[in-house]
Amino acid sequence: MKPIHILILIIIISCLIVGISPHLGFTANNPEIQQHILTQLRIPRVLFAFVAGAGLALCGMVFQAMFHNPLATPFTLGVASGASLGAASYVYLGFGFSLLGIDGVTLSAFVGALLAISFVYSISRLHSGFSPETLLLTGVAISFFFSSLILFTQYLSDVSDSFQIIRWLMGSLNTVGYHDLLQLLPFVALCTFAILFLRRELNLLMLGDELALSRGVSVHHIRYTLFFVSSLCVGAIVALCGPIGFVGMMVPHICRLLIGSNHSWLIPATLLVGGSFLVLCDTLARLIIAPTEIPVGVITTLLGGPFFLWLLIKFKRIGT
Amino acid sequence: MTALLNVEALCLEVDQKTLLSNISFSLLQGDYLCILGANGAGKSSLLKILMGINKATSGNILLNQQNLADLSQKKRAHQLSYVPQAQGHQLSFSVEEFIKMGRYAHHSALSDWQQADRVAVERAISITHTEDFLHRKMSTLSGGEVQRVLIAAAVCQQTPILLLDEPTSFLDPHHQIEVHKLIHTLNQQHGISIIEVSHDLNHATQHSQHILALKQGETLWYGDSSALLQSQQLHSLYEQEFVFTHHPQSGAIVALPSES
Repeated sequence: MKPIHILILIIIISCLIVGISPHLGFTANNPEIQQHILTQLRIPRVLFAFVAGAGLALCGMVFQAMFHNPLATPFTLGVASGASLGAASYVYLGFGFSLLGIDGVTLSAFVGALLAISFVYSISRLHSGFSPETLLLTGVAISFFFSSLILFTQYLSDVSDSFQIIRWLMGSLNTVGYHDLLQLLPFVALCTFAILFLRRELNLLMLGDELALSRGVSVHHIRYTLFFVSSLCVGAIVALCGPIGFVGMMVPHICRLLIGSNHSWLIPATLLVGGSFLVLCDTLARLIIAPTEIPVGVITTLLGGPFFLWLLIKFKRIGT
Repeated sequence: MTALLNVEALCLEVDQKTLLSNISFSLLQGDYLCILGANGAGKSSLLKILMGINKATSGNILLNQQNLADLSQKKRAHQLSYVPQAQGHQLSFSVEEFIKMGRYAHHSALSDWQQADRVAVERAISITHTEDFLHRKMSTLSGGEVQRVLIAAAVCQQTPILLLDEPTSFLDPHHQIEVHKLIHTLNQQHGISIIEVSHDLNHATQHSQHILALKQGETLWYGDSSALLQSQQLHSLYEQEFVFTHHPQSGAIVALPSES
């Protein structure tokens, strides 16, 4: 099958998933209440999940391309924990600022994400022959470090703040109305446009730095730009939904298997599959033990853990 | 005639270790320069400086009379293209996609694929005879095929100078000859100036015009290729004595490692 056919198939399946999901799992019989639940809860939630999933998958795709490694994602490299720490500190310190209409919690998460990625990247550049394994282990170390700081803020917080942080750390797409969606959409859209704009550079980065440089890519500038926009996107998503893991690892990898590595096709495919995947996970989270909801982060991590192991076994040497 | 590339007194120090010291050479239009040297002699470091991966500690590189350090990565890619060693290219790109990526430097972020791009790509494909596997994935190619595709991608970059890093190291004799013929064609028929890092002493003395021999980061020998075999420096290049004989077919002098 040609990439265009695969993409059309993906579009059709995504439309079906997004169209059907809001209508599943109704318990109330009153049509008016049903209508209200549909327009004020279900539809915004599905759209919110779609945008968040698309953003997470896209950032995962960018990281995998930049580090030439299917296991490198904002989550494995500690960027998401940086964002989480930023957001948790904001909640704990009880700030209430906002800038240009952006919530302070989003900004704090963004700063945390940027700190984490700067740290990981500077470490990876200490020695020229740094292996992908070392990069991932750096990410793991940073994740541990930030997680313990999060635990520390939680320990210091009062019971209700602490509960709020725990629920949020599990990752949830529970949203009412369109406010969260409108907060998130600009970040994911900005990130998408920037990445679409840099699709050729992403292709060349996959060939390795040497070849990319020789073809004329200003590798370091492009990398900093990509770090910046993906940190912005991960920061916004983490601030609003909590750290929903593994979407950014599974989706881009599967898309690459489906449609190839050319980012002109891979970017739209990753957006659509990422969005639909998170909608699907969230619908499952709503339905499995209804009326109780499971945090969606639990579902994606349950799927993602085995996937991670499968990747590890498949790529006996990471990075090949 | 002015030189395409002029390297003057190039030095590279990393962590207080001298990797290259006082290297000078020049490359004329249509020249074929081989860089020889034992492992760790500084061949790769030199190549990396030319490509803008590493920065020289001191010295000058003039590319078409412009200082290399002042050129943007894209401008540099208009002058120099690079063929890496053919290993570890487990990519899910198709051959065609990979070759087309060689046109990057000729595009701005919003420009479309144009007639000139199509022509350049078709030409590169026909020179390198890669028509037959255009739609295969890079990861399914054999070593010889990968090397031709890597060369095709560099050729469609349309640069006056082509850098090759040990283009035949991982190939069997048949494919070595095939790739060398291709490089020869690019040099002779298409006027591309070649800089090739090589371990193949006899190939270098017979087919290139000039040789730069490096030892421990210093120039051991620089001059006409044919003269290297008469040079007193040859045994010191690889710490190895050589004996000489004539090639039964071409009559060219070939050097063989002495067994005593």
